[in-house]
Amino acid sequence: MTDTATTQGTLYVYGIAHAGVRAPRTPGVGGAQVRLLTESGLCAAVSDPPEQVRARRRDLTAHQAVLGELTAQGPVLPMRFAVVSPDPATLRAQLRADQGRLSAQLDRVRGCVEMNVKGSVVSGFFADLVRRDEKLRDLARRTRRRPDYEANVRLGEALARSVRREARRAAQEVLSRLAPLAVRTAQGPLDDELVLSASFLLRSADEERFRQAAAAQARGFGDRLALSVTGPLPCYSFVETRPAPAGR
Amino acid sequence: MITYDDEIVCAPRAGTLYDVLELILDRGMVIDVFVRVSLVGIEILKVDARIVVASVDTYLRFAEACNRLDLEHDVRSKTVPELFGGGAAKTVAKAGARRTARSLTSKVRDILTPEESEEPEESEELEEEPRRARGTREPERKRPLRRPPEEGRGGTGRRRDDDERPRPRSRRPARED
Repeated sequence: MTDTATTQGTLYVYGIAHAGVRAPRTPGVGGAQVRLLTESGLCAAVSDPPEQVRARRRDLTAHQAVLGELTAQGPVLPMRFAVVSPDPATLRAQLRADQGRLSAQLDRVRGCVEMNVKGSVVSGFFADLVRRDEKLRDLARRTRRRPDYEANVRLGEALARSVRREARRAAQEVLSRLAPLAVRTAQGPLDDELVLSASFLLRSADEERFRQAAAAQARGFGDRLALSVTGPLPCYSFVETRPAPAGR
Repeated sequence: MITYDDEIVCAPRAGTLYDVLELILDRGMVIDVFVRVSLVGIEILKVDARIVVASVDTYLRFAEACNRLDLEHDVRSKTVPELFGGGAAKTVAKAGARRTARSLTSKVRDILTPEESEEPEESEELEEEPRRARGTREPERKRPLRRPPEEGRGGTGRRRDDDERPRPRSRRPARED
């Protein structure tokens, strides 16, 4: 499937682990077979790259699955999707030169998994707010008495704002409850509706406890904040994004 | 008490690929001597994911739903889903939870598989998300609130806009990291 790889020797890189792990049997990006390239006590999971690397669902899943299989065997430094090494020699040189730092990073995520929690606004909560908040109810009454476009926009905006504010508040609360269970926490980008996006580095042993805590938060705030929990994941958010280039 | 029926999300939803897209694409290690292949369309996807959701359209739907609340008596007796009316009712509560996934879903489909015909099973894979309505795209579900069925004013023009996101709707540029 990937024998059409155009550039000779180019390698798609999935991640780096300690030498001695088994090669993942899961097919890689583009359906390619994944192999290990070992150097200086480290190994990199690689495959021939597809002719064109695209963020297709299947390939994203493959990237993820390969890393998952490695993670099950021990610590892994996951590469970002679509990273390729120009040739095996470059990859080997990098592993050799950066061996110390990479090993240290591997030790830092040893026995750990990443869990990702997202929370988005539940719009239905507006009804509760109207019931509770005198000002909103007044605004709703006035709008009903004199319904026009402007008034409706104003009312809707006030409701949307309140609903978001409540969800953000809940998100902060959830974050402060979950963070103590984690070794480290990394926050992701938010928008008007996604009010919580955080990754937690957990010791594997704490995963169940974390899930239960997340479930408890979901129950507590479910009327205003919808949570989703993804994981265990390779520790994407807890590796140094760009280790300093190896001193060549 | 507003009686939320048991359809409401009280347990965390199990995440999906869409929930971790930004991790796979934006986090993880990059080594300088390696090359990161540039992925066409990903920027658009990210922008869309962070597009400003607040819009007049959303406000009007909030107002519409609010106008159906009984403000004087039984605000408490109706379930929120009912307020949004119709068959959509059940899903309202979850709509928020699914928003990200859903708005990404069609985007992911468009961007991640520009040539769908090339691999038929690919689109199936995209469909397999359990929350996706089977076989339909239902773009309006991207929005947090259901469009009330009787909504009349100027609806169609706007709706077309919705379908064609991302568009200059994003009055504010994506919050970049």
